Amino acid sequence: MSTLNTPGERKIVTFSLGKQVFGIDMNALIEIREWQDPTPLPSVPAYIKGVTNLRGTVVPVIGLAERLGWTPSVLHARSCILVVTIAGKQAGFLVDEVADIIVINEDQIQPAPEVEVNEQSVIAGLVQVAPRAQDGVPADSSTMVLLLDLQSLGLTRVLELAA
Amino acid sequence: MPVSDELDEIQAIFFEECAEGLAVAEQGLSAMAAGDVSKEVIGGVFRAVHSIKGGSGAFGHAALLAFSHCFENVLDEVRGGKIPATAEVTKVMLAAFDVLADHVGAAQGVVPPPADAAALAALEEVLATKGAGSGVAVTAVAPAAPAPPPPAPPPPAAAEPAEDQFGFTPLVATVEELDPFGFEPVGVALDDLGPDDSQPWTVRFAPSRAALGNGAEPLLTVRELERLGGVITEVDCSALPALRDLDPEESYLVWTLSLPRNVEESAIAECFDFVAPDSLIEITRADAPAPTPASPPPPPLVADPGSAGTPVLTLVDTVATPAAKPVPPPEARPMDAVLQTIRVDLTKLDMLLNLVGELVIRNSILSDRLSPVDQERVELPELARLTREIQDNVMSLRAQPIRQAFSRVPRMLRDLTAETGKQVILEISGETTEVDKGVIEKIGDPLTHMIRNAVDHGVESPADRIAAGKPAEGVIKLSAEQKGARIFVRVSDDGKGIDRPRVRAMAIDKGIIAADAVLSDEEIDQLICAPGFSTAATISSISGRGVGMDVVRSNVEALGGRVDITSTPGVGTTFTMILPLTLAILDGMIVRLAGQRFVLPLTNVIETVRPEPGQVRPLTPTSEVIELRGSYLPVKRLTNLFGFADAPRRLPEESLVIIVESETVGNVGLMVDTIDDRREVVIKSLDQNLYPIRGLGGATILGDGSIALILDIDALVASSGAMASNIPLKGLAA
Repeated sequence: MSTLNTPGERKIVTFSLGKQVFGIDMNALIEIREWQDPTPLPSVPAYIKGVTNLRGTVVPVIGLAERLGWTPSVLHARSCILVVTIAGKQAGFLVDEVADIIVINEDQIQPAPEVEVNEQSVIAGLVQVAPRAQDGVPADSSTMVLLLDLQSLGLTRVLELAA
Repeated sequence: MPVSDELDEIQAIFFEECAEGLAVAEQGLSAMAAGDVSKEVIGGVFRAVHSIKGGSGAFGHAALLAFSHCFENVLDEVRGGKIPATAEVTKVMLAAFDVLADHVGAAQGVVPPPADAAALAALEEVLATKGAGSGVAVTAVAPAAPAPPPPAPPPPAAAEPAEDQFGFTPLVATVEELDPFGFEPVGVALDDLGPDDSQPWTVRFAPSRAALGNGAEPLLTVRELERLGGVITEVDCSALPALRDLDPEESYLVWTLSLPRNVEESAIAECFDFVAPDSLIEITRADAPAPTPASPPPPPLVADPGSAGTPVLTLVDTVATPAAKPVPPPEARPMDAVLQTIRVDLTKLDMLLNLVGELVIRNSILSDRLSPVDQERVELPELARLTREIQDNVMSLRAQPIRQAFSRVPRMLRDLTAETGKQVILEISGETTEVDKGVIEKIGDPLTHMIRNAVDHGVESPADRIAAGKPAEGVIKLSAEQKGARIFVRVSDDGKGIDRPRVRAMAIDKGIIAADAVLSDEEIDQLICAPGFSTAATISSISGRGVGMDVVRSNVEALGGRVDITSTPGVGTTFTMILPLTLAILDGMIVRLAGQRFVLPLTNVIETVRPEPGQVRPLTPTSEVIELRGSYLPVKRLTNLFGFADAPRRLPEESLVIIVESETVGNVGLMVDTIDDRREVVIKSLDQNLYPIRGLGGATILGDGSIALILDIDALVASSGAMASNIPLKGLAA
């Protein structure tokens, strides 16, 4: 699968956290792995679940739901880790379920409306996506996908706040 | 490869050579300043500047070219003895050197182009007056020259001889091994190996096919010839069949040997006395050298028809010839003399190091999974030994003399003394100590700060020094030495020492300590490393920005090292950076704690104790001590230090207490559940993908692929000690 985009087109990986559907840019995704208990770290914020071994590299695992201020994910069979690269650093995000890969146009992205949420800056925009017909789900309503701004989720920035 | 890439690459090499040239020049100039004005030293400096000039012209760095040209002119005159190498002239050249270094930096685009007018003018003046313009200075400084020159660094050995001597020395590629059963003999043609004048005898010898079957041993014959001084120059394997057709009792090879002139023909013939009669033996004397390929055609026994383009293995045996009597081909010798080096991209080296690290991990995976019997069966210990040797070798590839880090100090010191008006002599020792390149790169900044600190806060002004009964010139000693797995880098000055009352007052003023805090002298000294602390009364461009020593400490700690400060008022201050030798490998003890495994660096461990009931006693509700041979040591529970408070609290007698040595609070006991293993681990930094965590020196990947955190004992006990130490206890009676 090519990750090259035609102009204005973006590939988005969507996944769910609780009842919300989020999306990240496909280009940032390195791989999707099964959940494995990471090695916990001392004196780190609770959303850093620990570190895990990704082919010889020590990679932090982050509870994305907590990081975004939602209630922590409960682990289940389809829990998985999205390994992404943010500004040259790798991180694994714990998500509830990976949903789909969608192709959208830049002009489909709406800026997130001003709301009084602290974490607003991590939402890069909103996209409306119609469910696929072959999913067997009645296409009664379209889904709102929250596009995440990975740069603002980088761990170094969080460190300075936490330290 | 695109042309521009290639150019960039060549340019990069040029800059590397510039850096080397600058180092050579600086070394030479320093030697000259110290009184060694021998031809070799001056010549070395001249050549270094000359090659920088040459390269700069080729790459179009006009400013660098112009300046180095002028500099070179002066050096040439000095070299030729037309300008005396007086202290004054040397000083001008040292200043010019600094500008030259800046020019090189500017050509690389890392620093702005320097203002070189003053230095140029000074050089021009020296050139115009032939150094006489500074006549006064010459007489004034003259007595300094005869002073015994300190052990001057040897003249740059690699610079000049490399150009002249080793240009096109013919190197003989030696064929290391001849495998007579190779399926496809490789033809190695070595041109000038024909019988030369000293070996005029050529002997061709092909044992009869049946010779081996008849009990003859051609090897003995060949040995005999070799004892006479014979050298095998060619082995014809063309008759050698494929392995499946090979009859081990048949002989297929044809040897050609050359023998020295002084051997009698009869002596050669004697060697063949016991050779089967139908063997091919040709003894020729080539006084008019006949090239080997023109020798008689293959012997009749070569039955294989397809031998037209048959590969021929030609070799010259320089090593394996027994009994050392034969004259080895003279051209094989220079190889040993040349110190051969090769430039390797550092990323390739790092890749290699990483891969070796993986190999070590794989090795420990195998030793985890196999029973001791199976390990022996598959010869795992041997593999482990090899792996370790590879690792050691790769590590040594990265080791560099610490001189690289020290090299910028003299220049910096010249700037600093010019700026402050203080007079400082620099004494460097131990600069050949080898350290991992990663360490060298990272101690540059701390070293800079320490030197600045020593000049700014340590060494007094000349007037103050004379008033204090010291020589006007201060001395800063910079030294490096290796002790065990650690490197000690010291910066010591003979200045006024740390002004403790003032440091204390400043710390209170800045809210770093409470006004009524009781601190030992050592603790006060440590305060200068506290974040935001700066005692300089006036903010200078040198230090006093309030970051200096804080940066030193955090940089050094990030490397897994620490900073020691000792100071005596009026006598001086010594800063010591204690650094790990390598950043990649650690000898550690794997301990288990609340189900999680940790690595405890073995360098910290003193002993392990399994406490008897009652040996560990509570001191306060949150702290414990262990009684050990009559004295009490604090005991820390790692679970508490790490805030894993929900782990079940084990009884001391079900645990192990590991006594560790810490820099800050002396010996401390750490309570762990069990000890799993002792092994070398590959350090993976946490800040590669996360950020450094206080109390952890990194992480490692264990044999089963899981991660164990590496403990940083000093940081761990120090961070908890600071909180727990304010309980007033007079003492304990054992």
